[in-house]
Amino acid sequence: MKRKLRIYFPFINAGLQEATTYRANWFFMILGNVLGCFVSYFIWNAVFLSGGNDTMNGFTMPQMVVYIFLMFLTSTLISSGGTYDIGEEIRDGSISMRMIKPISYNSTFLFQELGNKIMTVCILIIPLVLGVEICRTIFTGEIQFNIIGFLLYIISCVFAYLINFFFNICFGFIAFVIKYLWGANMMKNCIVGFLSGTMIPFTFLPDFLEKLFLFLPFASLNYTPVMIYMGMYSGTELLFYMGLQLFWVLVFWGLSKLLWRVATKHLCVQGG
Amino acid sequence: MKNIKRMLRMHRIFVSQEIKRMMEYKGDFIVGIIGFLLGQFFNLLFLWIIFSQIPSLVGWTLEQVIFIYGFSLIPKGLDHLLFDNLWSIGHFTVRKGDFDKYLTRPINPLFHVMVEKLQIDALGELIMGIALICVTLPTLAIEWSVVKIILILLVIPFATLIYTAIKIATAAIAFWTKRSGNITYMFYMVNDFAKYPVTIYNNFVKAVITYIIPFAFTAFYPANYILTGENPLFNIGLTVVISLVLLVISVLIWNRGIKAYESAGS
Repeated sequence: MKRKLRIYFPFINAGLQEATTYRANWFFMILGNVLGCFVSYFIWNAVFLSGGNDTMNGFTMPQMVVYIFLMFLTSTLISSGGTYDIGEEIRDGSISMRMIKPISYNSTFLFQELGNKIMTVCILIIPLVLGVEICRTIFTGEIQFNIIGFLLYIISCVFAYLINFFFNICFGFIAFVIKYLWGANMMKNCIVGFLSGTMIPFTFLPDFLEKLFLFLPFASLNYTPVMIYMGMYSGTELLFYMGLQLFWVLVFWGLSKLLWRVATKHLCVQGG
Repeated sequence: MKNIKRMLRMHRIFVSQEIKRMMEYKGDFIVGIIGFLLGQFFNLLFLWIIFSQIPSLVGWTLEQVIFIYGFSLIPKGLDHLLFDNLWSIGHFTVRKGDFDKYLTRPINPLFHVMVEKLQIDALGELIMGIALICVTLPTLAIEWSVVKIILILLVIPFATLIYTAIKIATAAIAFWTKRSGNITYMFYMVNDFAKYPVTIYNNFVKAVITYIIPFAFTAFYPANYILTGENPLFNIGLTVVISLVLLVISVLIWNRGIKAYESAGS
């Protein structure tokens, strides 16, 4: 364990340094995405005004605000760039440099990204959660923040991040088939975005689609943590959905190992 | 005059190079187009689901909203198709020191950057935009006149110019900071506001997307003119004026930036 830490600590450090070097650039990207949240906010605001009801499919407007901004927070926390990195390395052949080193391929990525995440976590969570909670308190007239819900949300986010991480590694192997990763990645992001509930809560969908989507691995990415934060799940339901998250972590972890084995056998690096 | 002729010829050469490159990687180019089509498809699905719950969006019907949405994709797609290369200046060209190449060639660097690449992915947006307009037009009672059609055709290049000008200005920031890709991204994201009727926003947002980062002129205002025929002076006239003002400002920023540029890296 100690030895492992010693091996991987430099990767965490490298990730953190990378993140802090380009923090201005990162900050502008986050600002751009927050603007996107405000577009959603205004659309939903207009929808609730036009609908005339206080609740729509189990959501009130204050809850919708929490939903929109928590979705954004969750997506940012659990984002993972594995697809692009692995694909690029397959393409340019630098993957071979990783293969000759006596350390795990996935782990180096994981730890580097964790270092990168430290900044996101430190800078983003407090202002966003605080902002959302202040809004909610003003809207409803009472404090709704639930510390246990928040802690469960964090745990759920860790599971979600791991699912996303291993899923993206698996998807990265698509570079063996499709060379244009940017396009493939874009397609993936659109589909995953919708299926993980970032655009619209599942309760707005027809019944059978809602049930189907809840069981797909994508709901475990964004939807489950946000629902947990909002206190929509309790008791056995909570256990079930977190169990489902754990199940998907294991599935994609196994799949990424398997694909790695298959891929390395077939890997043919052009040039050097 | 001779200069413009030369530029047009250069443009043709660049485009034909790009098309050769695309033919080499046919699969990629289909993947890119499908990617962008899919993105638009899910946005539409979102609108459709929302409208199944409410009669109208603060007075706008589904057809009208989709028409505005479709129209917004035309200038966006055109800029994306023709001038996508501006993104790379802020993302990596300046940082890696590759910008030197543009300065050593006997053509205007800004022109060279703009026409160097053709981003065929944008066809996804353009196809979707045209399809949405075609589907919704027959359901909307629009009064047509020759003047109106001329004004609409006239306004599209100017609306496109708003996108391009904002990209030029924000890309030029990289000449001072080495990296500005995400500043471009931040400004570019504001265009999301313009895809929907501006009447859903509060006055502050309305003022910002009308006068400060004027994306509302790329979509809602011209589309509103098509739908209602009202206020051509504001909806069309101001689009032209604002886009030209923006272009002048952005070229000034670009030129100052080039003067400040110091090659980076090794």
